[in-house]
Amino acid sequence: MNMAATECLLQMFEEHHELEDYQSGVPRWCTGCGDNAILTAVQRLCRNEDLRPEKTVFVSGIGCSSRFPHYMKTYGFHGIHGRALPIAEGVKMARPDLTVFVNTGDGDCCSIGAAHWIHAIRYNMNITVMLHDNQIYGLTKMQASPTSPIGTKSNTTPKGSYLDALNPLTVTLGVQNVSFVAQAVDWIPESLYDILSAAYHHKGLSFVRIVQRCPEWLPKIHDPAMHDPNRILLLNHERGLKLSPTLAKVYKNQLTHDPLNIDRAREIASSTDPIPVGILYHNPDVPCYEDTRHSGQLRTTELIEKGLNKEFDKVTVWPQDAEPRAA
Amino acid sequence: MQAELQEHVAFHLTGKRSAAAPDTAADIDLRPALLARYRDLTQLRYDFPLLLVRNAAADRTCVQSLSAIIDGLAHAVAHDDDADRVTHHLLRLEQQIRAAVAAGANGWLSALWERAAQQLLLHGDDKLKDSFARARAALKVDGEVVDCGRALPTNILRHAWGAVQEQKARRFRADISRLILKLTDILQADFAGSKAGRSASSLKASVGNAHEDEFDFDAMSRMLGKTAPRSALPVARRRRIEALLNVLKSQRFYGGIEGATAVSQPHSFVFDNCDSALAAWRERLPKAVELAKAIAIAELELEAQYREAQHDALFAAFGSDGLDTRDMVRFPDYLICLGDAQLQGAQKDRLMEIISAGLPMKVLVQTDDILEEATLGGDSHLAFGLRSRQLANMAIGLNDVYVLQATASHLYQFRERMLKGLNFAGPALFSVFSGAGAKARDLPPYLVAAAAMESRAFPAFTFDPSAGANWAARFYLEANSQVEADWPLQRFEYEDENQQRVAENVAFTVIDFVAADLRYARHFSAVPRAQWGGKLASVSDCLGRELKGMPDQLPCVLMVDRGNLLQKLVVDDKLMRAALRCRDAWHSLQELGGIHNSHAERLLARERKVWEEQQQEVAGRAQSGATAATPAPAVVAVEAAPAVAEEPARSPDETYIETERCTTCNECTTINGKLFMYNESKQAYIADINAGTFRQLVEAAESCPVAIIHPGKPRNAGEAGLDELLKRAELFP
Repeated sequence: MNMAATECLLQMFEEHHELEDYQSGVPRWCTGCGDNAILTAVQRLCRNEDLRPEKTVFVSGIGCSSRFPHYMKTYGFHGIHGRALPIAEGVKMARPDLTVFVNTGDGDCCSIGAAHWIHAIRYNMNITVMLHDNQIYGLTKMQASPTSPIGTKSNTTPKGSYLDALNPLTVTLGVQNVSFVAQAVDWIPESLYDILSAAYHHKGLSFVRIVQRCPEWLPKIHDPAMHDPNRILLLNHERGLKLSPTLAKVYKNQLTHDPLNIDRAREIASSTDPIPVGILYHNPDVPCYEDTRHSGQLRTTELIEKGLNKEFDKVTVWPQDAEPRAA
Repeated sequence: MQAELQEHVAFHLTGKRSAAAPDTAADIDLRPALLARYRDLTQLRYDFPLLLVRNAAADRTCVQSLSAIIDGLAHAVAHDDDADRVTHHLLRLEQQIRAAVAAGANGWLSALWERAAQQLLLHGDDKLKDSFARARAALKVDGEVVDCGRALPTNILRHAWGAVQEQKARRFRADISRLILKLTDILQADFAGSKAGRSASSLKASVGNAHEDEFDFDAMSRMLGKTAPRSALPVARRRRIEALLNVLKSQRFYGGIEGATAVSQPHSFVFDNCDSALAAWRERLPKAVELAKAIAIAELELEAQYREAQHDALFAAFGSDGLDTRDMVRFPDYLICLGDAQLQGAQKDRLMEIISAGLPMKVLVQTDDILEEATLGGDSHLAFGLRSRQLANMAIGLNDVYVLQATASHLYQFRERMLKGLNFAGPALFSVFSGAGAKARDLPPYLVAAAAMESRAFPAFTFDPSAGANWAARFYLEANSQVEADWPLQRFEYEDENQQRVAENVAFTVIDFVAADLRYARHFSAVPRAQWGGKLASVSDCLGRELKGMPDQLPCVLMVDRGNLLQKLVVDDKLMRAALRCRDAWHSLQELGGIHNSHAERLLARERKVWEEQQQEVAGRAQSGATAATPAPAVVAVEAAPAVAEEPARSPDETYIETERCTTCNECTTINGKLFMYNESKQAYIADINAGTFRQLVEAAESCPVAIIHPGKPRNAGEAGLDELLKRAELFP
């Protein structure tokens, strides 16, 4: 007997959900787009974890992938370009009881939102971040993004891009307070689900880069990896992912990697061929900003009014003859 | 036996002393020899007096010893160059305070400090003043100072209980205030969405009158009216929330709740007898059930998870047979402080009722005198500490009661265990011997209490049901000194007739403890120094020996008189028998604590015998020269490889999809949404093979990014362009 009767009473009639409870509208994404695979994996996660739709929020920025909240029958916030993370952090700070997900693209996160990205890692709030990385600006019809491989021909780089691609994994692993970094590819649904599930269960900011196809603008870029299972390096560990027999049968290129070992994680993260798939780093002991900063004080009307007035008083210009009021 | 010893033998056996023998024990001021050094406790540094720290957290810092505080201060304020001086000054201050407290002064540390410092400064210099000032500035704690005595057990337990309750109260207040606020929010949100809430006057009132002229509240009210939510709070839910608020706001278990209605004082939970505590418990139980129920329903309401169809019936029956201990944890614990004299007849039954029913009550039973004469059986049966021993045994026997038995002298060392008992979810019994009631020969209560523990007359232990499932985890005896031994041995040094230093190890037995009590003087008879010799043996030696026939040695204890001269006193047989009983009781405690455990020892002996026999057998075989065949190596279990669920072998002619690997890219479903469909996990499967053509199967296979569609063989041989399609299908076997 582990649970008091009252506790059982509180949990007795919890509702269970179906996939349909999280589906909203028909995605406008192209046929063959990796966003579809991510959407399915997330909807399965919500169903299997029985997340209450009214207690779940998806926040996004701008881009193809940032249409994600529209297709989830939960709360959502389609934000402004590059600002998905700070909005999500605000939501989490004000409502720590909500489950917060962030969907952001390679342009949204790694270009215009790069500063927010770095600091969100450092704040380590309990949020699950999915970086939909298709290595191209798709919504605006093909411009090079920070993660486009060198030589990518696009509308802004007709002769091919000149810079080496930014590696979102090594950048994240270099930031203080990083607590969870993983990489998935959209074409292995089982591992995509497992990784997202581990990310959801991690308390802290979990950063999942999802390598994804863009069938419209970079249709061939992942063909080699998709057609040759040996170009995927599956990471496994008792503290990380455990591989199912079916997965292990197809993907024979495997590596046992301890997710607590950050140096090794950085090394693995630097590899682009084979593509490492799995949990690179996971440290459950990094404190969350919302926990360290939470005062525990009840936000009563009086408290909010007092705080607001205090702030207003700082900038109020008092009539010259009146004495400044005591705060 | 020597003739002169005859009368001592007679005394030992009968307890009757000859008329000629001086009644030394009663007449001369004697004390056990091992206590000779402790004539003036104020000259010693030891745990007492204690500080009951005000506003302390419910951890080990809530009770601190004066010497530890002084040590901490010396460490904090002394610099390298004046460390010795400051430490020395502070030690003088400590001694002054200790002496004052021993002389009966009481009060807060700050006041005692002030007084002691003033007295010392009368003859002190600036340096002394400087030391005191620096230390005083660094002193961050304050509170009542208490010495070891009759009042200590109640004081210290009440203090610790208070700290624990305060901790509970903080949690409770935060919980209830949150529930009140959030429930009120629900009602307010409903009001804000209602017609009345969106009226111009209500909007005006909520904005305030600062800029009312610049605002058209009527227009605002009209606009808001258009977006008003369609449904209001159901009447039943509103009533329920109002009722919950009423219960939460009017509860009397804790005070100081934000938003509560100040109707009446919170209940008191301190009692000095079991009857009134039980009466209060019975009277408050319905309210406690109501409150626990309200809290549970409120949590559901806040999550909008209350389902009337199911929950109404369940909560109607809630708490009809009382509350679960785990539900009781959030409520205050009752504290009952009893003297052992109170524990007669009906009161004792009440106490057993309380602790056996698992009520959240913490009971202190204080014993001031464990050497009181037995009421029955007169002189013949000495029962030391029997009442408290019996109480603790009964409580332990119930198996789910936290039991702490300790002497007042060691409560400071037991403070964490005391807190554990107070935090224990269920009843706790604290049986404490204060040492204040003994008719002792001018021994302070601290020494009496400490001697009782040392001599096994009142051993200290705890029984903590929450610590684990077995005795090894639950029972703690290690606080007693030299826990493995029958009696603790102490180094005893004295000077003999030739002014030579003699040192020996002397056991401190229960008889030494009894010897310190005047009422038992008649059981001792002094032996003149001239008759000391081989026929006198220590009590512990005699107790350790099987007694058969006439005693060849007489048991005696060592005592000292006021001039610190060593005396030997013969102990009578009756007292020796009482001591044996005391030792046996200690032995059973030891067994419970896993020391000299008879079951374990028997098992060990058996196994050892088996082992020895095996060894002999092996040796015998080796001697006989027979080359014994080496035992066959144990069969190494071959670890079976994890079973891989073998997929059924697919025929190349079969049409199928590896559904598990589908990435939901919509390619195939776009080609034919009837042929290809998604399952409950939104992954594609072939829903109806007849709904599409072989061409569509092949095209889907080609466009599938993960190549998991296998077209197989065409079902309709008449389909156009089959040859070419079959060729293309070969890529997806």
